[in-house]
Amino acid sequence: MKKVFSSLVILLLAITACIGGEEGAVTDPASYNNWEDVVEEARGQTVNWYMWGGQDNINAWVTGYVADNLKEQYDITLNMVPVVDTADAVNKVLGEKQAGRDSDGSVDLIWINGENFRTMRQGDLLYGPWADDLPSGQFVNWDDASVNTDLGFPVDFYESPYGKAQFVMIYDSAKITDPPTTMDGLIEWIQANPGRFTYPAPPDFTGTAFMLHMCYHATGGHEQFLTPFDQAVFDDAWAACWAQLNEIEPFLWRDGSTYPESHAQHDDLFANGEVWFNMAYNPAEASSKVESGQFPETTRTFVFEEGTLANTHYVAIPYNSPNKAAAMVVANFLLSPEAQLSKADTANWGDRPAVDVNRLPADQQTAFNNLPRGVATLSDAELAPFRLPELQADWRVAAERAWETFVLRE
Amino acid sequence: MLAPALIVIILLFGGGLLLALTQSFGFLPVIGLNEFSLAAYGQLFQDDVFLTSLGLTLWIAVASTGISTILALACALLLRRPFWGAGWVRFLFQLNIPIPHLVGAIGILLLFSQSGLFARLAYLAGLIRETGEFPALVYDPYAIGIILEYVWKTTCFTGVILLANLQTLGDNFEDVARTLGANSWQRLRFVTLPLLRPAVLSSSILVFAFTFGAFEVPFLLGQRFPSALPVLAYRKYVDSDLTSRPEAMAISIVIAILITFLVLLYMRLSKQAVKRV
Repeated sequence: MKKVFSSLVILLLAITACIGGEEGAVTDPASYNNWEDVVEEARGQTVNWYMWGGQDNINAWVTGYVADNLKEQYDITLNMVPVVDTADAVNKVLGEKQAGRDSDGSVDLIWINGENFRTMRQGDLLYGPWADDLPSGQFVNWDDASVNTDLGFPVDFYESPYGKAQFVMIYDSAKITDPPTTMDGLIEWIQANPGRFTYPAPPDFTGTAFMLHMCYHATGGHEQFLTPFDQAVFDDAWAACWAQLNEIEPFLWRDGSTYPESHAQHDDLFANGEVWFNMAYNPAEASSKVESGQFPETTRTFVFEEGTLANTHYVAIPYNSPNKAAAMVVANFLLSPEAQLSKADTANWGDRPAVDVNRLPADQQTAFNNLPRGVATLSDAELAPFRLPELQADWRVAAERAWETFVLRE
Repeated sequence: MLAPALIVIILLFGGGLLLALTQSFGFLPVIGLNEFSLAAYGQLFQDDVFLTSLGLTLWIAVASTGISTILALACALLLRRPFWGAGWVRFLFQLNIPIPHLVGAIGILLLFSQSGLFARLAYLAGLIRETGEFPALVYDPYAIGIILEYVWKTTCFTGVILLANLQTLGDNFEDVARTLGANSWQRLRFVTLPLLRPAVLSSSILVFAFTFGAFEVPFLLGQRFPSALPVLAYRKYVDSDLTSRPEAMAISIVIAILITFLVLLYMRLSKQAVKRV
């Protein structure tokens, strides 16, 4: 027993020694001569792709279409690892760095954006730069600010774009014939229909987005915040937003005494008819949920006349991934015109393309333009004029904190 | 014999605990936190959010343990005597033990939420005008949904332990009491209950420790604020701001300390029980 105990002590000491760790900045740039080398090395590798797994049709597209094609074309095995929140994957990589696992990590690719990307960059947890080496990169407009910065943080080719999204409001046209399409109109509607509206509690991704729309409106416009974070400006200007959200709170679902924990929970409330509005940071989500039978046939979407948030989502490779070549091949495949087209199809996912459609060959442009949209999806022409920029991640994080203090708890 | 298994358990568990402890002291070099301090704990005990959550968690644990122990005692006393179909009833009584809490929580949601089965039945029966009028039993301020799930699950757990205890004790003590003229209430009050006391205490301590430290049920059925301590710790853990990490770990350590204390108490009580028998 004594022996066991002393060996335990030694092992525990070894662990603590690892916590100290060295500065393991293994983020050297790609050391491949050309793309053929990458593809060659990728052959036979397995990619563990950590991604938000909250929507069945997305999961099915990844484990079906994407995985099958990767196996067939590149002999790469794609292993999708669903997570509730991207922060789970970030934490995993961080934990591995602490434990000194600098070359044999368990995460090869992460579906990521915004504050999680910033956190990983600041913690030196990402491999790169590599995204400009992808052959499919020719179809991406890297000069577009909504692509080369991610919530105000420079991408620097440490992540590769994968899709674009825009926030929409969702309603059931059988219950509401004429939905309010301005912020003021919505606020009036909420007060006239107590208990029929709610939004997921920030920091839920969708809930934060809704909160930001309210705040853009209540503070008199987002233009004043398109700068690096300023605590004084924030404290001063955003108080109006908390006042606005508190004003509608008594008229929310459950009198505003609680909020749905997640977007998925909000979906259930909407599907069950407990609340009459839903929202999504994906213009096609409502249509796919109509198709799967979760939402009624009469479900429709709209954007506010003031505009709605739009952003880009990406994939990134952790610094300690043992299968970087294969991960890059996966990222390249996701950007290929075929995969982008398949992803844009509402029957699969309905995500907007990260590639610039005008840069594609003519026949593929036609294919994109001929895609059926789904009953509840707005056309690009209806969405495009109403895009609002996201703020830098610090503003978001501060707003999420403040919401908990000034809205949730008061 | 035990050594290899023990090493794995203590290494993984103890290692995790040690890491949590160092991080709770604010030591996390990978993000540039290099000094040990008790700041996270200090902050915690001045933070209203933490204190309200602690209160709620204690309420959930006390209520679930109290209600389920009383119900379990009643069930065990009812089921101990032989009766027609006793085997089947006892089998049904144990049926929910292998069901995970996660499944139980989803079940509660499907039955008791305002769009759940009971709300719909009440609406069909004309008891309420719309399903929203159904009382809020999940995501509610009194954590009724959470307590319901724990009572449903742990009543059977405690009940099975007590039933086994009663069967080991046999009827001898009560028979002696009967020959000495004790009526049925006196036999229960002065013979059976005192004999069961150690088993009741130790099983309710286990239930208390579990309901205090479990995450999934309050996460699925709880109100957004205040939330149970394990949920609060999780939220701080997944915060995109990594400097919240020490606080998350400090909460986990507080939970761990309390549960360790309960386990020690449990071991003492079960030792006493062994001595007495």
